[in-house]
Amino acid sequence: MIEFAMQKAWLIPFLPFLSFVLIGLITKRSEKLSAFISIACILTSFVLAILVAVGIFGAGEEFIEKSFEYSARWFSMPGLEISMGVKLDPVSSMMLFVVTLVASLVQIYSLGYMHGDPGFSRFFAYLSLFAASMLGLVIATNLLQMFVFWELVGLCSYLLIGYYYFKVSAREAAKKAFMTTRIGDFGMLLGILFLQIVFGTLNFTELAEIVPKYADYGITLGTLNLIAILLFIGPVGKSGQFPLHVWLPDAMEGPTPVSALIHAATMVVAGVYLVGRTLFLYKTATTAAEVVAYVGGFTAFFAATIALTQIEMKRILAYSTVSQLGYMIMALGVGSLTASMFQLFTHAFFKALMFLGAGSVLHAMHGKVNVWDFGGLRKKMPYTAWTFVIGGLAIAGIWPFAGFYSKDEILLEAFNTGHTGLFWLAVITAAMTAFYMWRMIFLTFFGEEKAENHPHESPFSMLLPLFVLAFLSVVGGWVALPEHGWGYYIRLGEHEAGHAPAWMIATATTAAVGGIALAAAMYWKKIISYEAVGKAAGPLYTLSFNKYFIDEFYLWINHTIVDGLGRLLYWVDIYVVDGIVNGLGFFTKEAGAVLRHTQTGRLQNYALILFAAVVVLVLYMYFKSPAAAMIVLGGGN
Amino acid sequence: MIGLGHFLVLGALLFCIGLYGALTKRNAVAVLMSIELMLNAVNINLVAFSRYLTPDYIAGQVFAVFTIIVAAAEVAVGLAIVIAIYRDRLSVELDDFDWLKW
Amino acid sequence: MNIDYSLLTIEMLTAGLALGLLVLSLVVPGDQRKGFGYLTAAGLAIIFAISFAFNGVNKEIIGGMYLIDDFGNFFKQLALVAGVLVALASIPYVEKLESYRGEYYSLLVFATLGMVVMVGAGDLISLYLGLELMTITFFVLTAFKRGDSKSAEAGIKYVLLGAMSSAILLYGLSMLYGVAKTTVISELVSTIQAGQISPALILGLMFLVGGFGFKISAVPFHMWSPDVYEGAPTPVTSYLAVGSKAAAFAAFVRIFMGGMPQIQEIWIALFAGLSALSMIIGNLIAIPQTNIKRMLAFSGVAQAGYILTGMVAGTNAGIKGLAFYLMIYVFATIGAFTVAIGFSNATGSDEIKDMAGLSQRNPLMAAVMLVCLLSMAGIPPLAGFAGKLFLFSAIVAQGKLWLALVGLIMSMVSVYYYLSVAKSMYMGEAADPSPIEIPGSLKLVLIVSMVVTIFLGIYPAPLTGLAEAAASVFALK
Repeated sequence: MIEFAMQKAWLIPFLPFLSFVLIGLITKRSEKLSAFISIACILTSFVLAILVAVGIFGAGEEFIEKSFEYSARWFSMPGLEISMGVKLDPVSSMMLFVVTLVASLVQIYSLGYMHGDPGFSRFFAYLSLFAASMLGLVIATNLLQMFVFWELVGLCSYLLIGYYYFKVSAREAAKKAFMTTRIGDFGMLLGILFLQIVFGTLNFTELAEIVPKYADYGITLGTLNLIAILLFIGPVGKSGQFPLHVWLPDAMEGPTPVSALIHAATMVVAGVYLVGRTLFLYKTATTAAEVVAYVGGFTAFFAATIALTQIEMKRILAYSTVSQLGYMIMALGVGSLTASMFQLFTHAFFKALMFLGAGSVLHAMHGKVNVWDFGGLRKKMPYTAWTFVIGGLAIAGIWPFAGFYSKDEILLEAFNTGHTGLFWLAVITAAMTAFYMWRMIFLTFFGEEKAENHPHESPFSMLLPLFVLAFLSVVGGWVALPEHGWGYYIRLGEHEAGHAPAWMIATATTAAVGGIALAAAMYWKKIISYEAVGKAAGPLYTLSFNKYFIDEFYLWINHTIVDGLGRLLYWVDIYVVDGIVNGLGFFTKEAGAVLRHTQTGRLQNYALILFAAVVVLVLYMYFKSPAAAMIVLGGGN
Repeated sequence: MIGLGHFLVLGALLFCIGLYGALTKRNAVAVLMSIELMLNAVNINLVAFSRYLTPDYIAGQVFAVFTIIVAAAEVAVGLAIVIAIYRDRLSVELDDFDWLKW
Repeated sequence: MNIDYSLLTIEMLTAGLALGLLVLSLVVPGDQRKGFGYLTAAGLAIIFAISFAFNGVNKEIIGGMYLIDDFGNFFKQLALVAGVLVALASIPYVEKLESYRGEYYSLLVFATLGMVVMVGAGDLISLYLGLELMTITFFVLTAFKRGDSKSAEAGIKYVLLGAMSSAILLYGLSMLYGVAKTTVISELVSTIQAGQISPALILGLMFLVGGFGFKISAVPFHMWSPDVYEGAPTPVTSYLAVGSKAAAFAAFVRIFMGGMPQIQEIWIALFAGLSALSMIIGNLIAIPQTNIKRMLAFSGVAQAGYILTGMVAGTNAGIKGLAFYLMIYVFATIGAFTVAIGFSNATGSDEIKDMAGLSQRNPLMAAVMLVCLLSMAGIPPLAGFAGKLFLFSAIVAQGKLWLALVGLIMSMVSVYYYLSVAKSMYMGEAADPSPIEIPGSLKLVLIVSMVVTIFLGIYPAPLTGLAEAAASVFALK
């Protein structure tokens, strides 16, 4: 059974793809059947993923150093051999588990959330396609395969953000997401090309062996750093790192289950996963690794400061996601696969939980999004509220919830590797995280009920995923307890980080509790006036509330420089390029129109041309060849 | 003494005569006959080569026999098609067959 | 001489099927011959399946006159799979015939047999026999529509020009025999010395090029093909476009690559010129065409130019690209012609302008046409893109960048006329918006063509494996 799952692991992405095809071609009209096929496929993939995980982790040491890998040749040309394959190791099987689990839960949740939507089947088709692409990305054996699926998940993201295509904002957000991530993809593609040119392979296993010997391939460490940074631009776009983070908050225009699945738990961590997969590169290219660490640390801090003042539930969660992704990237930058993947693992549960919880609230509030319009919802929506609270505790990093363990791991790694600055930045970020999350929780679920709201608890299909995720948000962190050996399985050349010293745990917990307490004082018990605080912060508040005007800045660039350039180019295009192209097109068409008249319709003309051509060929070859003198002899020997 | 060269020249001449007919005759049946001349020129070549160059190896003569058979089949089909188009256009003049063009 | 007849299983089964159909058509009453199309398709499909047993077998029989090898087998499979699709696509056409329904399918299978023999031939004589079996059968099929002026005219043009080209080819073969003193292709390698290029050899080779150039419809030997394609019954046209062309290419490769690689320098530049001319002229004249069959004929001329680049490369990689391209060309071309069959069957028209609004009248037909045309234009991720990539990378590797550039530019030109069909289908207003119904057999052909074209574009490896095996028969660079 386990053996089968591992040998046939390609089925894990294939089944959702099959469901996409089936829904798209056949069952589109029947909503129930479409949803059934989609969920059945993803659940089967989930079961397979569990079997794979059992096989990989159950084998002890076997697959830690050497992954279980097989591939089929996809494309080959002289000098270029590209295969599509399956690479199973602890990291990829962990990802398979997380992605299939969250995807299954989100699909079940969507049964209730999307009920009555006119595009119900289409929605499930897209979700299936997304799951297929993401799973294909996870099992990729080489960078090109990863890139293909990377683009596919980008496409799905575009389709799903723009799902409500009749809304202008959704269309705009979809475009923004696609274009911003494309900028990153371009850098990444350059990095991939350089790797192929320099090392002649894109296979992770082979690259891991030869990259440390880069000098044999005629490049300097500086070049390797450049390649690593180019490659990192892809994750900057996909995982919403500064300065390409702007698309992620806008992506919340999509349906909430999509936000939970794609823009919180799975797709956005693709960038983290890619850096994790190519960490051997950053272990060698240490300057690039520093860049990664500081980009991550800064993004974590920066996004948290924005989240402090946002008023829409999904936007707060979006900035929180950006911030948490920054944590993961930072952990990779300081060289710890263990900590980063651990944070990825736990974050997937509590962030999906909170997004789905937010979806449940928005569902009940019929389109109201401002947290100031909510209040006291815990009475009418107890299940949503309490599961959300669990999520809040987990992300704040309160013991024994999942986030506690993973955040400590990152802090410890940052401190141990001598990045003291990043360490304190991360601690401050943790405090802010606790504050803004609990600000939202207090405003939404606590306080007084508002009379104009008529909330109701969501249906069971929506609550079930919440329960499962809440459970995992509690116990998810326990996998890192010494007896479970997370750091034993998932690592890359690093030593067990050991236990965090007591002062560190105390600091982190104090930061978290402090943040929650401050939030409680300001927004629940109203001991401290938030208005006064806002006024005191003055320009800082304005900056944060307006997201540092980065969107406006990009817009300005677009308007003045890009548009100006556009107008100039437009002129050139109309009068110069079009002139040439039209001229060429006209010439081509006219040439065709003239040449067709060689086709007279008389068969003896055709025969004449045929023979004449042969005679011309013969004469030409005679005079070209040295034997031309013998022409007088005709066909004689 | 008559040698290989003479036969090849005969073959070449016959081919050219056939070619001339095929390109200039207006009557479809005449064109078919001209093509027969071209094929026969080839047969002369084949048999002459076989006789003078590879006397122990009769591949050339076998080839010629096959060519004769194939030519017969070709003419049979050709004549049938000529009859078919005669029924349609009441003409076997090649100049009349130019509806398909450009 | 002991002959292992089991090696000839494919040939004998195909001949048996052809004769069986002929006998059946005499025995079965006229109104009960509806199943013949399916019978033919099933029979050819079974032979196609059996042919896989010969993958990897490399033997020669009758003293090298006939070869069983991967190259031949690849093209036999091509002929058979094209035969299956054409037999299915012929069903609605044959149902409209008043008589000779059984004979039609029998002739179709005889044409397949001709191709099978031609690509397996190891000797000039057997090659010629296969070629003529195929060609003469096509003469009959082209003129098959009785009482149709266009069909008859196409028939007489094809029979006269075809016979003349046969004469040229044959003259070339006779000169080749005279120079090499053998008719066995594999012996040519040793009997034709690179240093001794006699005028007789050049005469023979140029006549051969003329003869084969006619069959593959390369410029300037292409002029028959638009007229014949337009006039012939459309299923016959599609088989002529893929089967005849592919088999002629296979024999061409067999003689030049298998028999005369040592004198490559005298024919490679020549093929490069023919290839460039075909790409340019074919694509340019295709632009103003208004009849879909005629447009596809000129596009076929251009395709012959692309495929010729595989021979220009003169390497195994080139042959691999050639074989790969011909196989995917089968599906794209038959798909496009089958749309034309379905369309003219329902509306009686082959005009591109009448196809306006086809996407509303029958979305499947429009989609298949679009996929097939875009594949021919070489748009990724369709199979045509992979094919062009293989071909062009092979010639670039041989330093013929200019030819690849011509190919790329002309591919761009081809997008223009392919897309104008798409534009008409998708954006045009239909004069008569009523839906078009097509029979199940056509639907099957359409879906198979489309799926294969897309699949091989995304995942070409299974076919490249076969093509590589086929190319490895020749000991080239």
